[in-house]
Amino acid sequence: MPRIRVKVDEDLCIGAASCVTISPETFQLNEENKALVYDHGQQPDGPTYERWMDVTDDELENILLGAQSCPTLAIFIFDEAGNQLFPEL
Amino acid sequence: MRHVIIGGGIAGVTAAEELRKLDPDAEITIVSEEHHPLYSRVLLPHYLKGKIPRERVFLKKETWYAEKNTEWMTGVMATSLNAKNKFVTLSNGRELEYDKLLIATGGELRTIEADLRGVSYLRTLDDADHLLQLLGERTGTSPAAVYGGGFIACEYINFFAHHQVPTRVGLRGSYFWSRVLEHEAGALIQKQLDTHGVQIMPNVNLLDMIDEKEIKHSCSILGVGIGIQPDFSWMREAGLEVESGIKCDAFLKTNLPDVYAAGDVAEFYDVIVGRHVHVGNWMNAQMQGRHVAKSMMGQEVPFALVSSYATNILGLEIIFIGDVSKQEADEVKLFGSAEEGGVAQLFGRKGQLVGAVLIGRNQDRAIITKMIQARDLLVNFSK
Repeated sequence: MPRIRVKVDEDLCIGAASCVTISPETFQLNEENKALVYDHGQQPDGPTYERWMDVTDDELENILLGAQSCPTLAIFIFDEAGNQLFPEL
Repeated sequence: MRHVIIGGGIAGVTAAEELRKLDPDAEITIVSEEHHPLYSRVLLPHYLKGKIPRERVFLKKETWYAEKNTEWMTGVMATSLNAKNKFVTLSNGRELEYDKLLIATGGELRTIEADLRGVSYLRTLDDADHLLQLLGERTGTSPAAVYGGGFIACEYINFFAHHQVPTRVGLRGSYFWSRVLEHEAGALIQKQLDTHGVQIMPNVNLLDMIDEKEIKHSCSILGVGIGIQPDFSWMREAGLEVESGIKCDAFLKTNLPDVYAAGDVAEFYDVIVGRHVHVGNWMNAQMQGRHVAKSMMGQEVPFALVSSYATNILGLEIIFIGDVSKQEADEVKLFGSAEEGGVAQLFGRKGQLVGAVLIGRNQDRAIITKMIQARDLLVNFSK
């Protein structure tokens, strides 16, 4: 089960909400219209723009699709070793 | 299978990417008018404000197309379509045969006829580069002008404010989005502009902004944002049904066999709101790109998405969700007020909530999106 770090750059996020449409278990907008990161629909330790989570391969693919859909490339995904999976460098 | 995609924007490229996933052996050709690999138009404002470097606007590298075994033709447009013999003719004279054709040409800007120095448009990366050039050439403290009262006008206002350029805005109506918004919603935006010292000139026409030789009011730059006006001539000649966009059904199929449309150019049957709609936003274009690829591969699932577009004017958040046509609505209901700093304008048809504009009311977004998706009644929305 891959362990990943998902991060939203709140300065780049404009609330386009495509990530929320594709990956609602991982992304939800807050009242500032910025995407918070959820762990399977939950917010252990409260709201945050960045968190570690364990996901299945299918879930990872969906989260990557959500990140890829962001028109401002505000979502960053890292693997356990710290390698940036998206956006590709 | 030969797939030809006319248009190299987010709808066309997303469709190509999905087609490649679904059919590893297909021939795929993208015909793109622009020379740049896919980039995000939504990132252009960030680029213009120096928040990101220019290279960060690109979503695909130039090498991506070859990696996906996709032919990528740049600087080329389609000029005619022969749907009977299934080929398109391109501006470079080439004829491309297809088994399935996707038209995803987006929208062309409505322009003003005058070709004056300092006139700016804002749709492409080249437009953004040009605007930065104009800003660099600006002398002294000359103000900038904006003509139009929609999404592009917001971007110009934010851009000029960021660079501390005094701005005056000429509106064709009496307030922003005057054909969509009720007066109270317009008043809230007006209040925001007044607070920030942006000068608004309501009910003007182009001749109030320019004369034969120059931009009026001593302005050195005029940002024009007066909507889009695609050229449908070759599509109409081919027999495609066109109204405000290319008419297609819920599967994004047009009236011609094996011809599909997606993105800003498509006027599609929206199963959620129950009528043909013409939507011009990123989320819709991208999701339709993915969806139409499935349709082209024979998977017939209706496209069903409540899309939205979010922007802001000098920090005041504005969100359009779903079907916000006032003419097509039989009920328009307001919540909040300009005085409170937040207005939600809801659109209903036959009792059903079909769309909303939220100004300074982000907190309503999730619930309203869910209600539209669920075809819930407007009356069930409580502030």
